Amino acid sequence: MSQQHAPEAEETGIDLAPMLDFTMNLLIFFLITTSFVKEAGIQVDKPIAQTAMHEESGNILIAIRQNGEVWMDRKMVDMREVRPIIERLHIERPEDSVVVIADKSAAAGMLAQVMDQVKAAGIKDVAIGATNPAGGG
Amino acid sequence: MKTRRVSGAESGHSGIDLAPMLDFVMNLLVFFIITAVFAKEVGIQVSRPGSGAGEGGKESKSMIVTIYGTGDVEIEQRIVDVRAVRANVERMHASKPENGVMVIADKSVASGLLVQVLDQIRLGGVEDISFGATK
Repeated sequence: MSQQHAPEAEETGIDLAPMLDFTMNLLIFFLITTSFVKEAGIQVDKPIAQTAMHEESGNILIAIRQNGEVWMDRKMVDMREVRPIIERLHIERPEDSVVVIADKSAAAGMLAQVMDQVKAAGIKDVAIGATNPAGGG
Repeated sequence: MKTRRVSGAESGHSGIDLAPMLDFVMNLLVFFIITAVFAKEVGIQVSRPGSGAGEGGKESKSMIVTIYGTGDVEIEQRIVDVRAVRANVERMHASKPENGVMVIADKSVASGLLVQVLDQIRLGGVEDISFGATK
């Protein structure tokens, strides 16, 4: 009676090693694919463009609202602050690119100023955010 | 009886205990799943012309599309409809495929109109677009 009981009590659980292997693989996958996107923090009414494409490395987002407010990294910033912030982010991750999301009714002058600031900070790769009516964003 | 149980326990737990490690790895995994962002931003790539002297020659070869504050779009001294921009750009692109397009917008023009024009130019087959605004 007790002889049958003993082996069951010793091997208490299942073998965890294969599960650990699998979990490690998942972990490595998520580590590699994670790109920490700097969200702008607000929703803007984006213009529509049929030729809008996915920006593979577009992970610094700058939003321009209808009233001219500039938002980045979940904070409202002044136009003159854009350049130092971008410079700092560019040093941290040099492969980052910028997407400027301007509201439909925001002035093109504002857009040009923000793009100039980004360019002055050293990022050449700037895109204007738009919605594709055929889906995809 | 007692000795048999001890030897049994040794052969059963041959390695180290993996459970705490698994707990830790699981926590890391959950963190990365939660913070992962798969949504990519969509947009239109445009270049911003610099004031550098080297780029001057290239710009002079470009076709110029002007957008006025009133919303009028001008190509080659003619006011055209936004929807006609594509046809004009296609015609230019067919005759001079190496040329780019320079869009000059009044600073008060709405971004919506600007993006519409940029979209039309891209539909016309030109990828090399520069954008400038009046001061």
